[in-house]
Amino acid sequence: MSQLSLKRLEKSFNEARIIKGIDLDVSEGEFVVFVGPSGCGKSTLLRMIAGLEDVSSGEIEIGGKVVNDLPPVQRGIAMVFQSYALYPHMTVFENIAFPLRVEKLSTDEVNTRVHAAAKVLQLEPRLQHRPGQLSGGQRQRVAIGRAIVRQPKIFLFDEPLSNLDAALRSEMRIELMELHKRLGSTMIYVTHDQVEAMTMADKIVVLDAGEISQVGSPLELYHKPDNLFVAGFIGSPKMNFISATVKASDGTTTTLDLGALGTIALPRKATLPVGQTVTLGVRPEHLHLGAGDFTLNVTPNIVEHLGIHTVAYSTLPAGENFIALFEGAPDITEGVAAPISFRLDQVHLFDTAGLAVY
Amino acid sequence: MTSNRSAVLFALALLAPALIYILIIVAYPLVDTIILSFTNAALRPTYDWVGWANYQRIFTAGNFTEVILRTFVWTFFSVATKMIIGTLGATLLNAAIPGQTVFRILTMPPWIVPMAIGIFMWGWMYNGQFGMISGLLQNFGVISKPWPILAQGSSAFWATIVTDVWIGVPMVTIYMLAAMQSIPKDLYEAAWTDGASRGYRFRRITLPLLVPALLTMSLLSMIATFNSFDIIWILTQGGPSNTTTTMIIDTYKTAIGSRKYGEGAARAVVICIFVSIFCIVYFRAVRKLSQGEAK
Repeated sequence: MSQLSLKRLEKSFNEARIIKGIDLDVSEGEFVVFVGPSGCGKSTLLRMIAGLEDVSSGEIEIGGKVVNDLPPVQRGIAMVFQSYALYPHMTVFENIAFPLRVEKLSTDEVNTRVHAAAKVLQLEPRLQHRPGQLSGGQRQRVAIGRAIVRQPKIFLFDEPLSNLDAALRSEMRIELMELHKRLGSTMIYVTHDQVEAMTMADKIVVLDAGEISQVGSPLELYHKPDNLFVAGFIGSPKMNFISATVKASDGTTTTLDLGALGTIALPRKATLPVGQTVTLGVRPEHLHLGAGDFTLNVTPNIVEHLGIHTVAYSTLPAGENFIALFEGAPDITEGVAAPISFRLDQVHLFDTAGLAVY
Repeated sequence: MTSNRSAVLFALALLAPALIYILIIVAYPLVDTIILSFTNAALRPTYDWVGWANYQRIFTAGNFTEVILRTFVWTFFSVATKMIIGTLGATLLNAAIPGQTVFRILTMPPWIVPMAIGIFMWGWMYNGQFGMISGLLQNFGVISKPWPILAQGSSAFWATIVTDVWIGVPMVTIYMLAAMQSIPKDLYEAAWTDGASRGYRFRRITLPLLVPALLTMSLLSMIATFNSFDIIWILTQGGPSNTTTTMIIDTYKTAIGSRKYGEGAARAVVICIFVSIFCIVYFRAVRKLSQGEAK
């Protein structure tokens, strides 16, 4: 049974529809990541689950019970805010103990729970300090501690790592994943960073303009994006898109005219109308130097040598940007044309509406 | 050495405008007042150095000690009332209520109306014959004959405080409202998520985080109230029988009314010392507070 269910969930601020009918099921113990660009509604959706935003229509069920009208504290959730929301005048101990003091638990119980959380988060030596004296990572841990002591059914994280520097971010990412393993609780995590989404999630929910674009495991989204938006959003560097016209399509093979780049025949079960404008997608890391299934001649404008990788940026004849990512340091030079190829089974095809064609 | 000296000169040159401004506006009058307080300056063209005589006189002869005490009582009640009403008002104005802006604007008139006009208005309301307060109380049968509020010592004292509170509350309200709004919304959301009630949030988040603002506003209000001249002067001129004479009124009466500049200056210096003590206490409290935050 799913622990959290969103049913036709909608949210409008005056005339503006921010969340447009979302259906989603989250199972117990799952780590679900809401990802999408700024303004896609992911934080609003999380705040609706938390009870910080009213629901315009639809239902939120937690543990089989509709919680639309319940205050946050009765929903069995705990939230970690982007800004950490630590009380600056209280010690770390008091910050973590805050929800327990609200519950009016006994002093012994408060002590036991706060120390247990502090131990898990390695905050014991810091309990008597104030937030102002802590590093960004430690503050983040205090915020998580405050969530842990409540022993919630569901943890909600609103872009918790976005205020940290890159090194600390990857460290905290691992800590959070370990925490999830240890606690086994359901976690819903909002981020705009697809690396966080890909590395942490059991299930990614990609949001676009208040709607779910696709739900799936990280590898599903990577290998089988449902649409252009997901294809372009997941993966770094971004997937290359090449505009094409359908020349022939018979239910087994679809032949595309790529203009100056020639023609390509892709195995596809779907039949597309001849003359339709479609989009071909190839991930930069699926490109190889030298001839292959389909080869293009490109002249890199810029070549970046990153040691482990080499990234070549070029422009195709039709003006599209084209990025290639190669392992190691292959022989490719700025301004010198080179043959670059890809395998046909690694090509994505999207119809006029932007939906994937398989 | 030379470059060091030219760096110092350059710094001084940059500071000069501000220094000259402070010297003319603050330092010169202050020093002049202090010098004057050791003289018997009056209307005569010349005056003599009298040492501590003015200070001895104000603390031994007359009723200056009583005036000091009265000033403190006046200041305490006025500031405390302003702070309580102002903070409560700010809390109400900070709540998400319909017509919030209208209510915020409505708090402003006492502050916007020219002070003298506001005070005259209160003067009329306090009038025993045609004043609104006396009239209403008679109408409701609370009193049987006209009550000239400003003509009786005890009521005049509290009446001046009421007017001072009326004029001072908007500033406290707006300042405290600004302080409340600077508290991050996230803190309240986090507390609300944890189940904290409105009262609990106010007690454990708002109030502690308002302490610096409360301290600052109390000090500013204390200085302004301690030195408040126009309200008392327009309403009672320190009367009846000196019952509303505070230190600043007494100083004015001595220096300007009786033309005893030397004695008046000594009184002004005493006021200055008291206000300086308030400031020292305030700065210590703020330092302690910021150290506590860092601990």
